[in-house]
Amino acid sequence: MEKFQEAFDKIIEADSKVEPRDWMPEKYRKTNIRQISQHAHSEIIGMQPEGNWLLRAPSLRAKQVLLAKIQDEAGHGLYLYSVAETLGISRSEMIEQLHSGEAKYSSIFNYPTLTWADMGAVGWLVDGAAIVNQVSLQRTSYGPYSRAMIRICKEESFHQRQGYEIMCRMAFGTPEQKEMAQDALNRFWEPALMMFGPHDADSVHKGQSMEWKIKRESNDHLRQRFIDRTVPQAEYLGLTIPDPNLKWNEETGHYDHSPFNWDEFWNVVNGNGPCNKERLDHHKKAHNDNKWVREAAAAYAAKTETQVA
Amino acid sequence: MKKINIENKEAKFLTRIADTSLILGQRNAELCSNGPFLEEDIAISNISLDLFGRAEEIYNIISKIEGGTHEADDYVFFRNEREFFNIKLVEQPNEDFAWTMARQFMHDVYAEFLYTQLLESKNDEIKGLAQKALKEIEYSLLHSRDWLYRLGLGTEESNARLQEAFDHLFKFVEEIFAFDDLDKEYLPNCGELQSQWNKEVNRVLSEINIERKEYEALSMRDYRDGFHSEHIGHLLSIMQYLPRAYPEAKW
Amino acid sequence: MEATDKVWEVFIQKKAGLAFKHAGSVRAFDKKMAIQNARDVYTRRSEGRAMWVVPTEAIVSVPLDNSDAFFDPADDKAYRHATFYEIPDGVKHL
Repeated sequence: MEKFQEAFDKIIEADSKVEPRDWMPEKYRKTNIRQISQHAHSEIIGMQPEGNWLLRAPSLRAKQVLLAKIQDEAGHGLYLYSVAETLGISRSEMIEQLHSGEAKYSSIFNYPTLTWADMGAVGWLVDGAAIVNQVSLQRTSYGPYSRAMIRICKEESFHQRQGYEIMCRMAFGTPEQKEMAQDALNRFWEPALMMFGPHDADSVHKGQSMEWKIKRESNDHLRQRFIDRTVPQAEYLGLTIPDPNLKWNEETGHYDHSPFNWDEFWNVVNGNGPCNKERLDHHKKAHNDNKWVREAAAAYAAKTETQVA
Repeated sequence: MKKINIENKEAKFLTRIADTSLILGQRNAELCSNGPFLEEDIAISNISLDLFGRAEEIYNIISKIEGGTHEADDYVFFRNEREFFNIKLVEQPNEDFAWTMARQFMHDVYAEFLYTQLLESKNDEIKGLAQKALKEIEYSLLHSRDWLYRLGLGTEESNARLQEAFDHLFKFVEEIFAFDDLDKEYLPNCGELQSQWNKEVNRVLSEINIERKEYEALSMRDYRDGFHSEHIGHLLSIMQYLPRAYPEAKW
Repeated sequence: MEATDKVWEVFIQKKAGLAFKHAGSVRAFDKKMAIQNARDVYTRRSEGRAMWVVPTEAIVSVPLDNSDAFFDPADDKAYRHATFYEIPDGVKHL
């Protein structure tokens, strides 16, 4: 046992990767399962707020781009479920945990997408925030998770651009379109910043995850990076960031901002956001309504497949 | 808003094919995040993307033939119910996964033989399009046909659901093969299209324990004249809402 | 999904002449479905020209407890590497 622990510690210390068949502390395994399945569920539930506008996309191009993007999210959820499965949990168990409320997904997807401009704001801000986080996670210590992140970052490079392109068309479009763009920014700005999670001082899992190099950079650090990048992008659009205290701080070299509404954040996390129930119900319905399809496929396979292994 | 008249004969013929592809793409897109499991969700999105892409290319060809009076998006977003010329089969709803796959299979068999005939088109752009489309269609057919075997031979329930789907969808087959002069001008062998379709569909159904019931001829008017089931209006009202609500806007 | 589907490992060959590389895994109920799912999930950006899927359960790996016994004995056999050998200066094409 001690020999195994030593080998594991050495891997972490050397910044090398832990692989599925390596010995790892039970808590390392559990923490990874929790984080990776939460990440996977976020991709999957994240299909819904965008799917909400898929059938109403205003051009053939926008429709194809949005469908390809949502499809990528399904693919990324799938990669991440596969990663979690290497840690000894099955996809069906993860789906059960999602349905029972035991597993969480990113709170941001509990907000409704009310206008087409929200497709811009989601791509620009929500994917933008996710990418900052995911780029950092490319260096995570669990090998399969790190590899999935590298692949996902590569594929998602178009997602944020797609969102920003919509924002451009809206912000530089008719007065009505610009108004929609501003409204979308107003609604998504703060929730997007809270995607990075609680402040470092209040983060429950932070210490151990950083030591194990599952997480590589702190919530506040990543959040600040995102803010610093995004403010000039909003300025280019001629839109106003909905924070009267947002200003450049010469001393720190970063933007200052108002405190966030953490009461709302926790309330949404705990199930009381605008769409929590709808999102889960949607997933459950698709899953349960199609049980017969999976049963048919299983029955057919049982009749026709010769045993391979 | 001015009515979009498609004048050229070839453009009129192509509109039937483009609309069929578009409407089926839209129906399949409804399954995004509603698939029976994740891998299949992704597969259906792929099929949908192929159909939208194909529709867009054909609308672009139509636009060119028509002298550029309208762009592809105008045809999609600014025509009304009676100005769409898709086969009624593809506007039928996704009652369940059996409907989706039965509809897809019936379409794919039709599309395979149809686009094969388009390979002989005198219009090089259409010929090129058909070559590309046939690869997509071949894959889609592989996918939908495999699912028919799973559903037809899987469980009692899946067989019953598939039978019900076919019972409904077969009503919309007759019109597909009621070719008019326009079809006959641009398709080298209309009669063969029908016999090929029947042969392949009957072959598969006989292998998967699904009955093709006899129908009395229905008094249903032809899609070529812009007749539809009631589903089309709902589909269009969702699809076309934004550009119509903000006609000045660019997206 | 229910217990009756299984996990399949996906290997993709990008170009002729290159080795097949592990891309990830998919779930599927049967072989045809597995190869189609792999195509739709892992080759959306023209990543492949050939592909294998293998049921994960069919893969045999080195038992964890024996990995030292499997791999360490190769460590002291430097004579299998070209750099082990001394070649006089000036001798070429070796």
